[in-house]
Amino acid sequence: MLAQSFSWQVTVIILPLVAALLCFMLPKWGRWLGLVMAFAITGSVIVLAYQVMNQGALRYAVGGWGAPLGIDLYVDGLSLLMLMVVALVGLVVSVYSMAYFKAGKAVHFWPLWMLLWTAMNALFLSADIFNLYVTLELLGLAAVALVALAGGVDALGAAMRYLLVSLLGSLCYLLGVALLYHSFGTVDIALLAERVESTPAVWAAMALMTVGLLFKTALFPLHFWLPPAHASAPAPVSALLSALVVKASFYILLRLWLEVFSQDSTAAAQLLGVLGAAAVLWGGVQALRQTRLKMLIAYSTVSQIGYLFLVFPLASLMAWQAGLYLLLSHALAKAAMFLAAGNILCFGGHDRIADLDRVAQRLPLSLTAFALAGVSSMGLPFSGGFIGKWMLLDAALQSGQWWWVAVIIVGGLLAAAYIFNVIGHSFTRAEISHEAKPVPAIMEWSALVLALAAVLMGLFASWPLAVMDIGAPFGGGGS
Amino acid sequence: METLTLLSWAFDVTLGLTLMWLAWRALASEDLFKGIVLFIAFGLLMALAWVRLDAPDIALAEAAIGAGLTGALLLGALAKLEAGAESRSRRSEILPRPADKTKVFSGLLVFLLLALVVMLVYAIVKLPPLASGLSAQVAENITASGVSNPVTATLLNFRAYDTLLEMAVLLLAVLGIRSLAVVQEPRGREPGAVLDMLSHLLVPLLILVSGYLLWVGSYAAGGAFQAGAVLAATGVLLLLTGWLPGAWFVGWPLRFLLIFGLAVFVAVTLVLQLFGASFLEFPPSLAGSLILLIEVAAALSIGVTLTALFLGGRPQPEPPSSGRAEKRNTSGTQPS
Repeated sequence: MLAQSFSWQVTVIILPLVAALLCFMLPKWGRWLGLVMAFAITGSVIVLAYQVMNQGALRYAVGGWGAPLGIDLYVDGLSLLMLMVVALVGLVVSVYSMAYFKAGKAVHFWPLWMLLWTAMNALFLSADIFNLYVTLELLGLAAVALVALAGGVDALGAAMRYLLVSLLGSLCYLLGVALLYHSFGTVDIALLAERVESTPAVWAAMALMTVGLLFKTALFPLHFWLPPAHASAPAPVSALLSALVVKASFYILLRLWLEVFSQDSTAAAQLLGVLGAAAVLWGGVQALRQTRLKMLIAYSTVSQIGYLFLVFPLASLMAWQAGLYLLLSHALAKAAMFLAAGNILCFGGHDRIADLDRVAQRLPLSLTAFALAGVSSMGLPFSGGFIGKWMLLDAALQSGQWWWVAVIIVGGLLAAAYIFNVIGHSFTRAEISHEAKPVPAIMEWSALVLALAAVLMGLFASWPLAVMDIGAPFGGGGS
Repeated sequence: METLTLLSWAFDVTLGLTLMWLAWRALASEDLFKGIVLFIAFGLLMALAWVRLDAPDIALAEAAIGAGLTGALLLGALAKLEAGAESRSRRSEILPRPADKTKVFSGLLVFLLLALVVMLVYAIVKLPPLASGLSAQVAENITASGVSNPVTATLLNFRAYDTLLEMAVLLLAVLGIRSLAVVQEPRGREPGAVLDMLSHLLVPLLILVSGYLLWVGSYAAGGAFQAGAVLAATGVLLLLTGWLPGAWFVGWPLRFLLIFGLAVFVAVTLVLQLFGASFLEFPPSLAGSLILLIEVAAALSIGVTLTALFLGGRPQPEPPSSGRAEKRNTSGTQPS
């Protein structure tokens, strides 16, 4: 029966993989193939979303074996929202890249980017901790290769460090997988959740897997690799990495903590919360001190990732929802910021904040995009970031842990300071005027579309919140 | 019986200690060349350790990839480093001297590592007796898988999806390297007389071994990865003897060979889906043949991919000595 054997979950994974092979085989057609496939992938994600909203969470047994012998794919509200934000950011970045990359780089960009997309879709659909390891490897290698695409000493050094950190993270994760498999005889998340007991092996697995994933998510103090890697990559790549790739490892962490490690994690959750708070403040202060726009945005990512970890000590349904909401709106806002920064860099040939030289008048669309994305990052009403932070504040107050409130507010003020610093410089005339290159309109509009999406998430909050409940991914987290 | 147990126990302890000592020496060696040689020795002993753990499939892969190919890659990288600057093989001249700050940092690192070791040892001592794992289920379903080697059944049928993605990882590695560099001056040097004669003997033999490993994989230790690695060894040997891929070959034919395994894998599963199978579901009656088909394609691609890694960059369409390369090509790793 077609209905039994065919699945849009598989389509969402296979399409980008086939796209990568085609782009590699036919480099002359790579750009157009890539763009067409980007639309096709987005289309199939929409169909999958429609299906999930009508039928609820779906499980699919690859090869017909079923867990624990085979591998299952699983999609619920949480995975669906991740797939959708990847599709939206991915589609816009694909359009942007059409204009951004010259022919020489485009040949390499498209196959790598399609493999990165494959990795992310496979990751968000996987229900198997070993399969997740394979997707992590695919994701990490693709991300490193994309950073290196920028060329030059800075980018290559950053890519090398990123590679080493990424491998270290993967190895820690894999060791944890081995311990769990040995203890419970399965690598399927749902079965593990049923069988898991509190033993030293599980604590060790929890510690190893969490640390491995924190390396990849770049939570303070394991963030050291992120700013150089994200800042030296080509603009569309920076957008993809900061918006999506770091969220992928966070997603695995979230899944594991919600399902497998939910019972003995109270003290560890407090630790994650403290590290998150430190990240919010440290990232904010460092962002203020930067003289380069892309470095500033990269440190802003370090800071924004911190918020996602404030939900672990709160662990209520509202906190999880707040975390996911912040994650989604940050993905859109950060991608918009990096694309806008790419436009500014392309326009003036540099990204020194002090010499922005009336970008506001000369590149108004890009600066609007940057400002709107900034509004969401600061958490001003009525942006996506505002809804997320509001819910997080509410969750913190409800659980009586008021000290997190202070972190959230100070973090917002720091964000306001570094964003207004950039906007201020973009109105003033620099001492030395620079020659300006025209920026293709499509690149400006791409940044603006994503920034508008980040703001609109604040106006249409009920829909994503309803989707989050499909399959009750946060069901076990009630306080 | 008693003495045999004692003997194998003594052997295991010696092996374990030697492995740790080799790892330490390889890391601490001032001379990079020495470090690499130690690393290769480590890989070979590691393969032996896998044999002791009753995992001959992994042992084969470890010996071929961990010791052989990685060693060749490291030596190749070292040769490029030395070509970049006169006699820079000393690690201290490539890596910066540790400052005081990094000494504090490495102290912290040692502390964290010790904590990790203590945690792991405690966890392992307290491990429950091995959960039954999945071997019973694998054994139950092995007849439906089309092969009788449980490792191959797992890799190519039960968890074929992992293998599909892993082949994408391999492709990604070569894509990444190709995006970084063009092979400027391919190693077109003349081989010595011994290497030349040896390669004449070894190349056909290696191709034969690779075919054997591929075939035997369906019921004993072996399979696409091991066969591909041996094929890659052939490719590396040919590159060392001065063989270069011809100008006609490095364009789309090479790209095609690189994606061939993955393309066949995807094509097979898509065609089966048209006939109503699930994603990566092989009908039991056809499974054996389909797995062999996928493995042949995969081995070929893995061989070419690993050889391309050793080449270290994308070859230019028109190398300087294309005439000679084409002549040499006939004995190469080309598929016929």
